[in-house]
Amino acid sequence: MIPLLLLSPLILLAALGAVWKARPVHAALLLALTLALVAALYLTIGAEFIGLVQFMVYVGGVAILIVFALLITRPGDEAAELARRPRSLAMGLACVTPVLGLLLYAFSKGLPAGTALETNPALPVQALGQELFENSVPAVLAVGVLLTAVLIGAALFARETGDPSEPPASR
Amino acid sequence: MRVPALIGLLMGALPAAESAAIPQPPLLTAEALPLLPQHLVELTLQAIKAPEWLISLGSLAAAAGTVVAVFSSGFALLSLIERKTLARMQNRIGPNRAGIFGILQPVADGIKLLTKEDIVPSKAEWFLHLLAPVLIVIPSILALGVIPYGREWNPLPLELGLVFFFATGTMTEVAVFIAGWASGSKFPMLGAMRAISQMVSYELPLIISALSVVMLSGTLSLSGIVEHQAGYHLGFLPKWNILTPWGLVAGIVFAIAANAESNRCPFDLPEGESEIVAGHMTEYSGFKYALFFMGEYLGLFAISGLGITLFLGGWQAPLPGLDCVPSWLWFFGKLAVVIFVFLWVRATFPRVRIDQLMRFAWLCLIPIALLTLPVAALWSFTGQGALSWLLCSAVLAVPFIIISIIFNRRMAPTIRRYHYAE
Repeated sequence: MIPLLLLSPLILLAALGAVWKARPVHAALLLALTLALVAALYLTIGAEFIGLVQFMVYVGGVAILIVFALLITRPGDEAAELARRPRSLAMGLACVTPVLGLLLYAFSKGLPAGTALETNPALPVQALGQELFENSVPAVLAVGVLLTAVLIGAALFARETGDPSEPPASR
Repeated sequence: MRVPALIGLLMGALPAAESAAIPQPPLLTAEALPLLPQHLVELTLQAIKAPEWLISLGSLAAAAGTVVAVFSSGFALLSLIERKTLARMQNRIGPNRAGIFGILQPVADGIKLLTKEDIVPSKAEWFLHLLAPVLIVIPSILALGVIPYGREWNPLPLELGLVFFFATGTMTEVAVFIAGWASGSKFPMLGAMRAISQMVSYELPLIISALSVVMLSGTLSLSGIVEHQAGYHLGFLPKWNILTPWGLVAGIVFAIAANAESNRCPFDLPEGESEIVAGHMTEYSGFKYALFFMGEYLGLFAISGLGITLFLGGWQAPLPGLDCVPSWLWFFGKLAVVIFVFLWVRATFPRVRIDQLMRFAWLCLIPIALLTLPVAALWSFTGQGALSWLLCSAVLAVPFIIISIIFNRRMAPTIRRYHYAE
């Protein structure tokens, strides 16, 4: 309970900073911080595998990709971004309020009667792997094929479409 | 508390500790020597009737402190050995002024770096500029914590040790980006871009080659992987993963990718001195620069240690009769050999170009690393005998030869014409 109380305000602050900062790089770094803190939250509640994978995939993969995209594209105009701020704020609130309301409603209802609460559902990672790669193998394979197709499609889109008679830029 | 009183307490506590239910290696054997600080802290805390959480915290802190102390001194030693070895290979003398054979050179370097002025460029963001060197060192130390150094010496025995190791490794990428961006200057920015693209590319073969080991060991715990490599074929050939066909290939891929991950020559483009000054470290001086160096060397220790754990049998002895030598000595012996090979590679190979670097990772290393996964499965299903050896080697060799032929046809060095030189 104490880690939750300590981490949640930090996560909220970092997430707010990520949407509030006008400089894209600051926003991206704060997003990375948010994701890392969520990973820390997972670690404190005993879900070590999901915490470490969250760290690897989101901090090491997604945040780095965002940062890299920022580096190779032209930065936006900060003043224009700040001028758009009231409208963005209104739209953001309009999106967030229903979701938050729904969540609060769900929490206020509490769990359905008769739900057994497991105090420490420690799942060994081996059981997790067996569940994933023995019992739900078709789903995993389907996702794998889908992702491969996406990857090939992205490579096709990103292919250089210059004059094919020209030699490649570097040998 | 005065020292004699402390010793008296310890002596009094010793019999009590022996009767404790927790199985502990006996004190003062060679095997348990590196665990001494941990035991001393535990016994002291037990003697003064400290609460349970304080004992476990103190024991963990002592274990972490041992690792940090060992590898910090290893860092100082390596900085000298690297310069001496490189000098020897380049027919120079190397550092020879401070102390006999330059043995005090790390001390001199340390004093110089610590007393230098700490400059923060006016265009830099001071907080992120300060944060980057810290974020470089922390993941390396964390990664060193999960490696099993000996039969008993396992500072942080995690079930998910390997995942933990790679998760800490991703923090380095963020740190390098912060260093490059927060310096507010072009060379660090270019260096950071190079570093991130290189690290992201070489992380794939690194993890894939480690996966084949996980597949056959059936565990993600690093001490479990070491125990899986115990025993000997024919009574003398150790069952290390490097001595299997898929393990040999995966081990070589791992070594190359590890070299690139730690930004060492021939993959030191992110800090190529002749091109972009020092890459992401350009705007750093004094203590922060020293931290970058320390992070780099600790990272080298960590990834070499992981390579030893995955492929070279960890702390296992190479021959059956040699088990009497403390296991952590075997680990550090292997570490010394691996580090020497890294130095040798650095002294031998010239730096590659960025397009060669990327092509090598994506067209060569990743396909071969992916190939080791089915071959490891084949090895497991065909009984791991002599026939299996031949079959697996053939399956690995054919695509390798095909890739080599394609590379030789299409990418062989051609005669270059430099127009400005004509």
